[in-house]
This record gives sequence, C-alpha cells and structure tokens, in this order.
Amino acid sequence: MSGQGIGGGINRRGLLGAGVAGAAALAAPTGAGAVLAPGVSRADLASALKAMRAVVGNEWVAGDADAVAPYEKSYVPDPGGRHAPVGAVCPASTQEVQAILKIANQYRQPVWPVSTGKNMGYGSTTTAAPGQIVLDLKRMNRIIAVDPDLCTALVEPGVTYQQLRDYLDEHNIPLWIDVPTVGPIVGPVGNTLDRGVGYTPYGEHFMVQCGMEVVLANGEILRTGMGSTKNPSAWQAFKWGYGPYIDGIFTQSNFGVVTKMGLWLMPKPPVYKPFVVRHKQVADVARIVEAMRPMRINNIIPNVVLMMSAAYQLAMFHRRGEVTDSTAPVSDEAVARFAKQHDLGMWNTYFALYGTEAMVAENERIIRGAFAAIDGEVMTAEQMQGNPWFHHHATLMQGGLSLEEVGLARWKGNGGGLAWFAPVAPAKGSETQGQIALAKEILGKHGFDYTSAFAIGSRELHHIIALLFDKSDPAEEARADACYRELVTGFGDRGWASYRTGVQAMDLVAQQYGTANRQVNAAIKQALDPNHIIAPGKSGIA
Amino acid sequence: MRTLHAAALAVLGLALAGTARAGQELGQTLPQRSPEKVYASTCGYCHGHNVGPIILGRHLPADMVRYMVRHGRLGMPAFRPSEITDAELNALATWVEKALRNEKESGK
Repeated sequence: MSGQGIGGGINRRGLLGAGVAGAAALAAPTGAGAVLAPGVSRADLASALKAMRAVVGNEWVAGDADAVAPYEKSYVPDPGGRHAPVGAVCPASTQEVQAILKIANQYRQPVWPVSTGKNMGYGSTTTAAPGQIVLDLKRMNRIIAVDPDLCTALVEPGVTYQQLRDYLDEHNIPLWIDVPTVGPIVGPVGNTLDRGVGYTPYGEHFMVQCGMEVVLANGEILRTGMGSTKNPSAWQAFKWGYGPYIDGIFTQSNFGVVTKMGLWLMPKPPVYKPFVVRHKQVADVARIVEAMRPMRINNIIPNVVLMMSAAYQLAMFHRRGEVTDSTAPVSDEAVARFAKQHDLGMWNTYFALYGTEAMVAENERIIRGAFAAIDGEVMTAEQMQGNPWFHHHATLMQGGLSLEEVGLARWKGNGGGLAWFAPVAPAKGSETQGQIALAKEILGKHGFDYTSAFAIGSRELHHIIALLFDKSDPAEEARADACYRELVTGFGDRGWASYRTGVQAMDLVAQQYGTANRQVNAAIKQALDPNHIIAPGKSGIA
Repeated sequence: MRTLHAAALAVLGLALAGTARAGQELGQTLPQRSPEKVYASTCGYCHGHNVGPIILGRHLPADMVRYMVRHGRLGMPAFRPSEITDAELNALATWVEKALRNEKESGK
C-alpha cells in the first residue's frame, strides 16, 4: 500500500522502505554514513538548520558530528546505521516549536520529536527513518500547574518524573507519581504518548492522561478535551470533552507535536503493602495467570501483576558469566540454581495493596487464599529484608525512582544492547506455554537467552522479553536484528502482536495490524501533515 | 492560598540558594542544578545502585567525565546539553574529580 494514502504526490513510504540504498549519502557534517531524508538536498538541510538557529540560538542546534553524538546513542540493533539523526534542535517554548515546524515544511526537512529521549530499548533519540532532525523538547520542562485538590498536573514534555517528584516533595503535596522502570530520566509526556506503563494503581498512563496541547504540522495549536472551550476550567478534570475523542491519535503517532499534557496523580494511601509470591517451576506461570486475572478484573489487586522470570531478575544485578560458562542459551537448570542461591523463585510475582488497614487486611486474606490453592509462597517486606529485587519492585510499586533495570544492558558484558519485544495476549494461562516455547525457539536459534516477564494489566497479558545482546560485537548486533524481526513475525502469525516497539521495527510491527488499519493512519497523516515533516516512519506511518 | 504558599517557598528557596539546590516553581523552567543534585538525580541511580561502577572517590579526570556524559559508553546512556547543560556538566565533572567515596554506594 502507499502510505501517501489519498493525497498523491511522492510515495514517501516506498522511499522509506528503500532506506539507505534509496537515499542520498550526506558527506561528513554529521558523521560518516549519515543519510538524507528522501527528497531533501544537503543545501535544504543546511538551510533548515540555519533557519532553526535563528529561532532557538546557535547553541541549541546540533549540526556537526560532535554535537549530534549524544543523539546517536542507542541500545537497539541498528546494523545498517540507518537510524542515526542528522541534527537536533532544542526549542524552549511552544512558539519556537511552531516556528520550527514552519521551517521543516519550507524545506521538507522531517523532524523527530522526543520528550526526554530516554526510552532505552526502544530507540532513545534515534529515528525510524534516515535523515531526520531530532526535535528535542527536553528544554521545555515547566510544571505548569498542580492542583492538590483534584490531584492533577499539567506539564511540558521535558519534565522528568524526578522533577515532578521533587516539586511535590518540596511543596509538601501528598501525591504519588507513577513511573516506568527508568523514571528519573524520563517523563510523563513521552511515556504516556508511547503508551507506556508503571506499577502503581495509576500504571496505565494513557488512562490517567487528561488534556493535551498539540502543535499541528501547519503550526496551529489544538487543545484537546475541555482545553479548547472558552475560559477552560476542567481541562485536567474531564478527559472526553465533546465529539470524537482524539487524544488517542496523538499517541504512538506522528500527527502532531504534543507540547503540554495533563495527568492525574494518585493520593498517597494511608497503607502501602508490597508482596512477592514465589513459584518454582517455569510452567507455574499458567496457574498464576489464571489465579490473578479475576483479582485484577475485580480490583482486589489494584496495580499491575508482574510475573518476573528468574532470568530477567538475575540479569538486572548479575552478569551472564556468573550464571553459566556456556555460550548456548542459558538453561532453566542453571537459572534455577542461581536463583535459589539468591532467594528467588523461577517466577516472582509482584503486586501491592493500597488503602486503609482494614481494606488491605481483607484483600490480603483473599489473595493469600488464591495463592494457597496454587502452591505460591507469599512473602512480605519483613520476610524479604535485604533482597535487592524485592526492594526494587517495592520501590516501583509506590512510584519510587530507580534506574536499576538499566543493569539488563550489561548481562552480555559491557556492550549495552537491549531491545524490548512486547507482544500482547488475552490474560489466560493457556496463552503462556505456547509463547514461552516460541520465544525460546526463536531466541535460541539466534543464540540469545530468554529473559522475560509477564504482566496482567487487566484483561490482557503482556509478555515482556528483553532481547539482550552485545552491541559492541557487530556480528551479534546483526543477529539480534534478525532475531527481533523473527520474533515480531513469528508471534504476529500466532495472533500475539506487539503493543509497542523500537525504531528498528516500527514498520514491521505495523504490518502485523493489517492494511485497513494502515490506510486509516495514512489518511489521517495526509490530512494533518501533507508534507510528512513530523517523524515519518513512526509506528510505520510515513 | 496555594499561591501564597508557593511564594513563601520561593523566598525560602532564594535564601537557601547558596547552600542547597534551588527548587522549581510552577511555570518556570528547571533552574541550574548543583553538581550534588545532578549526581543524585541521574548518575547516582546507576553508579551507586547496583548497575554501573563506582565513580566517586576515584578522582576521574574532569575531561573524561565530560566525554563520558556526552557520548555514553557501552551500557551507559549519553546525556544531551538539553538534559545536563554545559554549565551543569562542567561543575559536575569538577565535583566528581574531587569527590570522596560514598561508602553507602554499591557498584557493579
């Protein structure tokens, strides 16, 4: 199909698909191998960068190899080097974003918006297609409003969870935040727009998003929900506004640049009680899912139920060489031995209770009954004193800040390769064994370990697989790239498509969702961004 | 009420500016942070918490710190001037070079 959809003109999707081979090489200024966007000349790029300097100041445009270097850092496989950006521009305000989009339209120079640029394992500040300038929104880091009564906030894209936490603490506002695993260096806008998740009862971030300000490709400003009414009073209080609900089309998309976003914050509960439940067998995960699905649907457990495999847990704090000498994929037996020595089960199921003493006690009674029926060993904070894994998850489940899972990137040595593969299935135990077998088969074929978790959000089961590889070894990086692609198509064929992916596989994942879906996205893109200057290639939308 | 509260804290923040980090107020961008705050908000989460190697007390040359922050290395992310400004990085690099080891940190 043509991503150009109903608009005619050049077929950008075809050009994107051609990638490096189909685009003109850019000599030198941004490093060897840099490639221009389709239809953009070196002179266009230079003129666009010059015009952007006039908007934001010289120091906030990166155009040479040294200045662009931090934007090239990536953990995902990119053996062809096609995801590095050709420059970066850092606006400080919505008005500067408008001016930059005008320049991008003038020169047909695509820009790739990032909020904090730290979605490690999904691409960081690298781009889905070559030749793009990163539109780095990190300097826009104002916390615009916090309402301690409604428990809401309005923030810019560059606000990190650390900043928001600091603000609430410094002003003695008893609200929690909800963080993904790299909370200190990422923020609510970017994570919500990529439909990321966290670990408190407010963990489904798009569910607790309320109102956006979006700069459209033509420079107009759209405020969603109640934000476009006269004297808006309920912008952060009521999600839906009137008429079609359109916030969703600005998530995992390239239809506009979100410059403000509202979110709901959870009041600090009187009692917080984290748990881990240990199981000894890999096959036990099916029973855990069956036991936990009703607990999530009826909200006896109010946060995501996270079933961490021993291998994933070990990879956070240990190196592969401590667990096995073999170059073959690490065996369940080797993992089990090491896990037992470190007080871990083969599955470690984390969840927490929140509320009054009486609520927590009653729900704990019900949950203990459910786990007693499936031989789960229920452990509390008192019993897990000094266990770094329990401490880590107990931190996350109360919105605490941690970067400990960055350690995953060192499992295979210092090379720092990590790509998340995250297929979705219904939350049924019968969905687990087939996925585990398929994952082990594909990972094993390419020589990689199975390091995974399952998570029950509500009615769905996320299978979160960390593809860990040595990015300093070009041959291994190429194998990781091939492996990831086979995971996407292999799982996709079985009805287990990804809910999210990195820049290296956005088009491939979009293919799993079919032609009609892609045509609708292409039509919206053509209507809102006819020059395709906002992040072509994002989520497979040209 | 909230405005008064924020204003009072802003005055307090100014009074403390010489000795502690200045906080962020509503509608304002993040003020320049002290090296201690940058370390605690970013570096220390890995280099003191089971992920990266210990860097405090090793007297790493300031130039090396600057380079590592901007480029990342292997498993370490790179940090852009939009995240850690040049002024913050210069102060951080000097501070890391001189800092004593923190016995509470655990490295990997």
